[in-house]
Amino acid sequence: MTGMRLFWSTCPKCMKAFVVAWELRHAKRKLICPHCGHRYLPEQSAAIDERHAE
Amino acid sequence: MPKAGKTRPSGAGARAPKSLGSYLDRIRNDPAEFRTVSRTVNPLNFDVTAVLGQLNQRREYPTVQFNNPLDLHGKPSRFPIVTNLWGTRERCAEAIGLPRSDSGVRLGSLLCERIDRKMKPVVVSSKAAPVHANVLTGKKADMWMFPAVRHFEMDLGAVLTMGMIAKPPGEEFYNITFVKAFPETGQRAGLTVHTLHMSRILREFEQRRERCRVAYVLGHHPAFWLGTLNNTPWGDNEYATCGGFLQQPVRLAPSVTWGRDFLVPADAEIIIEGEIIPGERTVVNPFGDISTQYQAQQLGPVMEAKAITYRDGALFQDVFSGHREHMLLGSIPREGTIYNHLKNKLGNVVAVHMPYSGCARFTAYVSIRKTEEGQAKNAGLQALAHVPNLLAVVVVDEEIDVFNEEHVLWAVNFQVDPARDISLITNMRPPSDPRALGSTRVIIDATRPTHIAFPTRLRVPQSALDRVKLGEWLDAVKGGVR
Repeated sequence: MTGMRLFWSTCPKCMKAFVVAWELRHAKRKLICPHCGHRYLPEQSAAIDERHAE
Repeated sequence: MPKAGKTRPSGAGARAPKSLGSYLDRIRNDPAEFRTVSRTVNPLNFDVTAVLGQLNQRREYPTVQFNNPLDLHGKPSRFPIVTNLWGTRERCAEAIGLPRSDSGVRLGSLLCERIDRKMKPVVVSSKAAPVHANVLTGKKADMWMFPAVRHFEMDLGAVLTMGMIAKPPGEEFYNITFVKAFPETGQRAGLTVHTLHMSRILREFEQRRERCRVAYVLGHHPAFWLGTLNNTPWGDNEYATCGGFLQQPVRLAPSVTWGRDFLVPADAEIIIEGEIIPGERTVVNPFGDISTQYQAQQLGPVMEAKAITYRDGALFQDVFSGHREHMLLGSIPREGTIYNHLKNKLGNVVAVHMPYSGCARFTAYVSIRKTEEGQAKNAGLQALAHVPNLLAVVVVDEEIDVFNEEHVLWAVNFQVDPARDISLITNMRPPSDPRALGSTRVIIDATRPTHIAFPTRLRVPQSALDRVKLGEWLDAVKGGVR
């Protein structure tokens, strides 16, 4: 199994993706898009890639 | 207010306290070691890392001073940026007073010898502390006044990449650790902490619901920083360790905020005195870090700035993350740590190297004087158990130069039986960020098997190499050049 779990979030504003630790997936904390500075909740992501090796 | 980089007083004199400026004075006339950029640069717009990245592609690793950077407000900063300080092993050797010829296999262990040469720090008055020449408190203690660098395209923003000093509750020893700080506002920064000791200090303050006092140091002599990177036991006063590396006692001064209850390095360039708020977390990262990957966005503790102090002529120091200086900064002390540990435990270690291909942190090449089967795996286990975040150990015979990756990989290709010689060690502590190996470690025994009849590597006889002088044997090239 790989190390710390993470996911990719696609910013709903600029549509660019960035990598996020799993601790923020359901923490009800807003992510900050490093590309455009937009703040949004993970469930507002335009897309989420949360595939993980078991 | 003085324009910091322009008004620096001379630090000349053999007995003068060592500082970043006094070190730069030694290299600034050598263009292979020191370059300047005097046009205006915007560190938020990747100007700084674009310069460093292109030098890196040219395989040039000078320290670079950017004389006219913008600050985080977009205004001209009073602080020049100095970066890529540890870009070569030779500079790392010279920084602690060793000759350049000691920059190879011996450097790690020579560095580790300094750990035992601790020098008790001395306390001077605030008036005698250059770093207290300029003091800003309250709203004037604005972290956005710094020309903080945004390094890579997916980084969350500008980052302070230097070291933080703290002491545990009720204790009188100081821990110094490289910690990244993301200034959200002028007074508030999110932190990422990756070392066991600093994490423990923060945890102990959190359990008490007390604020943790810290001094974030943005610039000091390179030997000071090399002194902070060693695997020293909990309870060691790292100011004393740094003194051993500097070869003079670290001068400490009472902090502006807490007085003699918290001492700060008097000869630093810039210090942020801050407090970490218990229980508070903010979003930090992504950040392109040592593995040359992005660390994922996560939650980190929050530091509140209480005061900023800086010397006249202060320089703002930055680490070019994920590149040579970042790698060497950690790898050289670890090479020494592993070498000394194996020497004490097994006695047959010849050399240790942490190659750039493993980002100088996650892979170690170890050569041993092998006399029987099993010794290579034993060496690998000892190294993995002793150095956190080390993921892979390749053990070779003493004839293999661990600094020559081609030689090491030859041994892996031709002396390893994967079914027998590759050992996976599972369920170890996972690294603090994602790695392909996760909680698994790997040991590769690439030593020549001694329990079966096995070929040896070809070689031209040494006696022939010694006898044939190339300059005498090769015919002269037309024009007289040989």
